[in-house]
Amino acid sequence: MSTLLALARLRAMRDGVAQRITTVRHCHVSERPMVFIPLKLAGEAAAPLGAMVGTDPDHPRLLVVPQPRNRDLRFAFAGELAEVLLPYIESFQKATETVEKKVGEPYERCLDAPQIVVPNRPAVAFTGLLGRSTRFRRVDGPYPVHPSVPLLGRWLTYFTDRASQPGSSLLLAATDVLGAHWATGQSGLEDANLAALVGWIDPPPGMSGPRAAEEAEDPLLWPPAGPATDPGFDNEVLGPAIRAYEDAPTARAVERVAQALRSQLEPTWRLTWRAVELLRALPEGSRVRDRWDADRGSFTRFVERIAEGGPPQARRDGAVGAAARLAGLERARAGYDVQRAYDDPLVMAEYRLTGEAFAGVVTGAEPEHFEGEGRSRKLRPLITVRTQDPVRLAPGAVLGSPDRRGHGAEVVGLAGGEITLKIVKGMGRGKTPAPGAVPQPGERVCYTSLTDDFQTSAALPDPEQTPWTHGGPPEEYAPSDDDAQEEWE
Amino acid sequence: MNRLDRLRGPVPPRAHDARAIAALAANPGCARRALLDAAGVDKDGTARHLGFPAPFGQSQFAITRGNVFEALVKENGCAELLRLMRELLGLPVDQVGYQDVENVGSHLRASHTRALIDRAARELDAAVFYDHPMLSLEIAGHTAYLEPDVLAFQLGGRFHIVEIKSFAVIDGQAEPEKVAAAARQAAVYVMALRALMADLGHDPERVSHDVVLICPENFANRPTASLVDVRKQLAVLKRQLARMARVDRLLEGLPPELTFSLDPDDEGVPTRSARELAEALGRIPARYAPDCLSTCDMCMFCRDEARSCGSTDLLGRQVRDQLGGVAAASEALGLAEGTVVPGEGQEEIARVLRLANRLREECLT
Amino acid sequence: MSESLDALERRIAELRAEVRRAVKARDGARARALRGDLRRAELAWDEAIMAEDPAAIVPGLRELQEAGTSLMPIREQVHQALLLLGVPAAARLVVAVNAAFFSGALRGPQLTSLRRDEERSFRSDPYARPYYLCAALTDRLSPARGLLADSTWPLEARVVGPLSPRVDYLTAAVRIAEHLERLADSPPGAARLLSRMAQNIPGAAEGFAPADPMTVVRAARAELEVHLAADAAQRAEVAARASGQLTDVERLFGASALSTLRGAC
Repeated sequence: MSTLLALARLRAMRDGVAQRITTVRHCHVSERPMVFIPLKLAGEAAAPLGAMVGTDPDHPRLLVVPQPRNRDLRFAFAGELAEVLLPYIESFQKATETVEKKVGEPYERCLDAPQIVVPNRPAVAFTGLLGRSTRFRRVDGPYPVHPSVPLLGRWLTYFTDRASQPGSSLLLAATDVLGAHWATGQSGLEDANLAALVGWIDPPPGMSGPRAAEEAEDPLLWPPAGPATDPGFDNEVLGPAIRAYEDAPTARAVERVAQALRSQLEPTWRLTWRAVELLRALPEGSRVRDRWDADRGSFTRFVERIAEGGPPQARRDGAVGAAARLAGLERARAGYDVQRAYDDPLVMAEYRLTGEAFAGVVTGAEPEHFEGEGRSRKLRPLITVRTQDPVRLAPGAVLGSPDRRGHGAEVVGLAGGEITLKIVKGMGRGKTPAPGAVPQPGERVCYTSLTDDFQTSAALPDPEQTPWTHGGPPEEYAPSDDDAQEEWE
Repeated sequence: MNRLDRLRGPVPPRAHDARAIAALAANPGCARRALLDAAGVDKDGTARHLGFPAPFGQSQFAITRGNVFEALVKENGCAELLRLMRELLGLPVDQVGYQDVENVGSHLRASHTRALIDRAARELDAAVFYDHPMLSLEIAGHTAYLEPDVLAFQLGGRFHIVEIKSFAVIDGQAEPEKVAAAARQAAVYVMALRALMADLGHDPERVSHDVVLICPENFANRPTASLVDVRKQLAVLKRQLARMARVDRLLEGLPPELTFSLDPDDEGVPTRSARELAEALGRIPARYAPDCLSTCDMCMFCRDEARSCGSTDLLGRQVRDQLGGVAAASEALGLAEGTVVPGEGQEEIARVLRLANRLREECLT
Repeated sequence: MSESLDALERRIAELRAEVRRAVKARDGARARALRGDLRRAELAWDEAIMAEDPAAIVPGLRELQEAGTSLMPIREQVHQALLLLGVPAAARLVVAVNAAFFSGALRGPQLTSLRRDEERSFRSDPYARPYYLCAALTDRLSPARGLLADSTWPLEARVVGPLSPRVDYLTAAVRIAEHLERLADSPPGAARLLSRMAQNIPGAAEGFAPADPMTVVRAARAELEVHLAADAAQRAEVAARASGQLTDVERLFGASALSTLRGAC
């Protein structure tokens, strides 16, 4: 939480409407996302109650578990969900491109990848639990399930794992992505309510944001976005409907439960699509594409892993795996932060506020300045920038700039609001700088000590060389009968 | 009539259960809450009467699930629990005794628990499990009766609180907030049992600060046990209870006739108007924070109050910290936009806010 | 037709919202009246959809649900389970044994008033029946909560001390295992019940594999060895007190709370 963000929240509070905290969109929005809204039975870890799912806002598919405590009905639900989700995922697998690499073999990558949008973060967690509870199932043996069920489980697990990767857009939680682009005049805790958040961002005509958010908190007007349902709904509507099904499991009784669930899911279904539209309307940041490329690559590798018959994801990472995963996440987080700042002046402003970046006007330039003698004589253009920002950079600091890709500079000195820089990268190999490589006097420029090249993580041993202090080399994960027969009651 | 009784009015004090006592520690800085709790005022009823009912409710499914799981753990003389205690604490095979305290009838449970605990502490009794025990704890002059799930006593002469919860532990992980809530609740039982031990003349430290948490494992009903250290929760609780015992300080300066009475008429409707009640409550400062929305019955009332005075508390502690404690949103915005002259000690936060304001303007225009 | 269905659905949705509002406002009477309206609207909807699609009822499921029925009176079904177990048992275990070996028609709630009914019958006409489903007695000679016993068992088997729940659990496991051994082909439900019980007996089960009855018998007997003597002594002491101090009715159904003052603690 920065002062800029706090200020945006204050303004939202005063103006009664959410405030933008970015100038561009920082996530990918697919042309054909799949919206998935799961509901679960209160008091149970992973008992699905029903879901609304699909790629067409006007034609959601409603899945219903008329008695959520019945194990067979749960697997029937998983099977139905697989019927919707797996063909969607498969539709992205056929068209591929060949990617050349600087080092190593060229590889194949899917041209596009699936994107699942859920209403909120608990829905992401529930998706993970659904994956966990289905991926080890066997199609033979004592509790056989349809072959699509374990496959669904592996995909749901994959999407959930990927959602913890900063900058990945394969599985998005609507509240998270909206909250990354707008600040409301309420607390972050209250922003977890999708209806309230959308109410602040896009209130109905004639209504203020806070008023819309207040209405959104009434579960009778706006059912919670799940996976947890409103206790009042459970006690008054769902409970009697489920009991009626138990007394007489007729199509009528199923329809009654379906009706009840539809009333809870439909508003969230519309809201989630509204969230997709709101995001789509924002201009895309220029590095969003690079991150989506990485998502496509990751998706392609997982498709291959399944095609090769690899085992389902382990219950827990081994020691080295866990450390590598953590290091990977840290790198991704740092990279994502820098990329957003380079793409978006309003994000860069956060760093200007802390003195890690500054913007200003070039007041002087010496494009043909050289350093050193003889063979080591190098072109090192100098510029002077005047800024009002509170710069906290020391001479010698290495800087990059969002204005020019591949451009690099070094701080020479600071004096009274003027900073002298020397350009060290990105001006070509000639005796004079390439045209446009050195900022001209009068030009507005921005520089920052944030750079995209990070220290590579501490070298981790191969999993086979895990030290004994960390449990020794992990056994190759092989799902056991216990995994497959684990109860799901 | 005692001051606190007058605050509550001619209605019986609200009994605190362990969950309510645990919640006392949630927002220790809130004077309104401390007074209402110390006086035993029905906060839920108060909020309803004011027209700001708290958005809390429990689903019948969650309640049923909880009851079914507890019954499973306890059936056949706590057979499942016995297996878990043998695995977890190395309980020797001859330690199997079971006493159902409720056999004496509910009106005698507290005294029977006391007698049984005394016998156990003197090693006169062979039981390991005391099912349906009842403990008591003094809260600001009132006795609160508490019902832990099970008390376990085992070799080594130590008592353990057993807390049975129906949230799942999946691959060794449970939702941290739920574990934390269970730990806070169990700490209340530990404290009550220690008080009982001290009262009986036994060493209170014989009640372990490790509580046994029983939860379903993965997606099945099969229970699993883990030890949870509640020392920290105990310390917080102790501090808050001590603070409640010192409510005199909060009472200072309040008009002697002040009351939050919900005294009902023949139809059970409080006779006092909601407005009067709201005014009386307004005499005692609250410390609203968004966290209250999940812990306090009064949350909607206090949030509304914070809104009407444009308090930055509404935006959460993190925002408030960023604003250097500036309490009013209009003041913070005024500092940012240069329309408010910074007061003493506000120069630094004003500088940062003005800079932030300039940067925001620059980027959005 | 479908138009009236739509209208009904809207009305149902509105009524549900109103019911919940009334409940929230703690307006019980209004909620009740609204629920009545809701029930009527739902029935009308049911009728309307039936008229539209008479094939809507799924055949087969109903039969499936009613498969487990029995003509035997409830008390006899309970007795049957108790005879197999041979020890005082809680309703849950009685129901589980009934489901595993017998009709499977017994439901927990059916057992709640059983003991009271039996006591009433005994009081009005003592010893008229060959057996009564009675209480197990605690060391305070009061009825133990939730336990059912057979009146024809000796008093020592019908009283419980602190060790008795464990002893009875192990004994029940032995009896179930032995009964399973006697059956030509064991019902799968019974094997599951035994396996579940075996989980809680050291050395009786390996992992989650189905338990072997003879292994269960051996393991349970081994642990019984540890407790039996102490438990028998405690039970004998309570039984002696019970036969000396209690009336006939009390010996079967327990002494009321006040008379427990005569007890030990």
